[in-house]
Amino acid sequence: MRTNPLSRRVISTLLAALLVAPLGAARAQSGLSEASALSALPIAVSVAAPVMVLSAGAVLTVVAVEASAGGAVWVLERASDGARATLRVSGQAAGALSLAAGTAVVCTVLSTGWVLSAAGAAIAFIPNAVGTALLYNERVTR
Amino acid sequence: MLLRMRAAALAAALLFSAAAFAGRSCENKLPTVSAIQRSMTLAEHTAARLDDSGAQVVVLARAGQNLSEYGLRYSHLGFAYRDGKLWRVVHKLNQCGTANGSIYRQGLAEFFLDDLYDYEAAVVVPTPEVQQKLLPALRDNARVAQLNTAAYNMVAYPWSSTYQQSNQWALETLAMTQDPAAATRERAQAWLKLQGYTPTTLHISALKRLGARATAANIAFDDHPNEKRFSDRIETVTVDSVFSWLNRSGLGAPVQVIR
Repeated sequence: MRTNPLSRRVISTLLAALLVAPLGAARAQSGLSEASALSALPIAVSVAAPVMVLSAGAVLTVVAVEASAGGAVWVLERASDGARATLRVSGQAAGALSLAAGTAVVCTVLSTGWVLSAAGAAIAFIPNAVGTALLYNERVTR
Repeated sequence: MLLRMRAAALAAALLFSAAAFAGRSCENKLPTVSAIQRSMTLAEHTAARLDDSGAQVVVLARAGQNLSEYGLRYSHLGFAYRDGKLWRVVHKLNQCGTANGSIYRQGLAEFFLDDLYDYEAAVVVPTPEVQQKLLPALRDNARVAQLNTAAYNMVAYPWSSTYQQSNQWALETLAMTQDPAAATRERAQAWLKLQGYTPTTLHISALKRLGARATAANIAFDDHPNEKRFSDRIETVTVDSVFSWLNRSGLGAPVQVIR
């Protein structure tokens, strides 16, 4: 069986991606809006993928979405050469995103990482070293 | 190998940043790529400015909502402090759709990934003495939680302990760190009065109050004195009033704007 070396490498090593997102959206509402939308919004994000798959403007297609313990796994395939990336997202995030097989995903490169989007909406952020230094989340009180 | 390490590093980073987007709008919609890009750029610019400032602790604000109707520019503030080469922000957030708030320690990215009204940050650098007293407290989970009241009210009365909104938590925590006697909310509020802090007075009509209270879990007016409430005067802690006081009292420098 012929295997695409890039995709095998991706899958076996780099690609482990993951993520996930807890989402409990918390919003600073110290302002004085008159009660606009206050429902929780999880959003989610995740990811970790082989850097080579994440080039600017890369178009990926969702080839599989599987439920897993505590979340879902997305398998994305690059249209140009079939290279694949596997991402995990939390259940809540996966539900909010409702990503389906066949969905086209576009990669945008930022100075802080990569954003994956579908139909104009961001579905995942993958930080690089600069982005990682800016990210941290710890809930101090319940 | 290098790539494998990189993947592992990314995966690890993700575990820590899992809630990277918590703090985003409570509306059930996904952010745009542009919004993420602008928020991340603002976080990056802010980190650079803070690095250059030489400060260890600053008061950091964002413009999460359009408050021009009330003559206000910024909606929310927290304390950013240096942690090695990184900056962390300690602030209070309201859980969407609930009447509860919690204290978080986050990165600059999370602080700005909150569906901003305008991609502008504001910073006030406190005096070295104020910073010196704040810094150890901001690193200590017990101390940042000490004056936190979970019951959240977006327009909490500044001189009451019934509720507490996010800017109020920050202001009272500032007081607590500056004077050992300000160990309770009541005492912190007394210290603030003594130091000349004055809240913003919002003019909110009875009709608006009624609508807000009826539809939002995190808005209440029952902690306000009747004579003020029934004359449509709602006092609360705003970023603009805190910045103004810090400058007026000599506890902090003028506001710096970062875009």
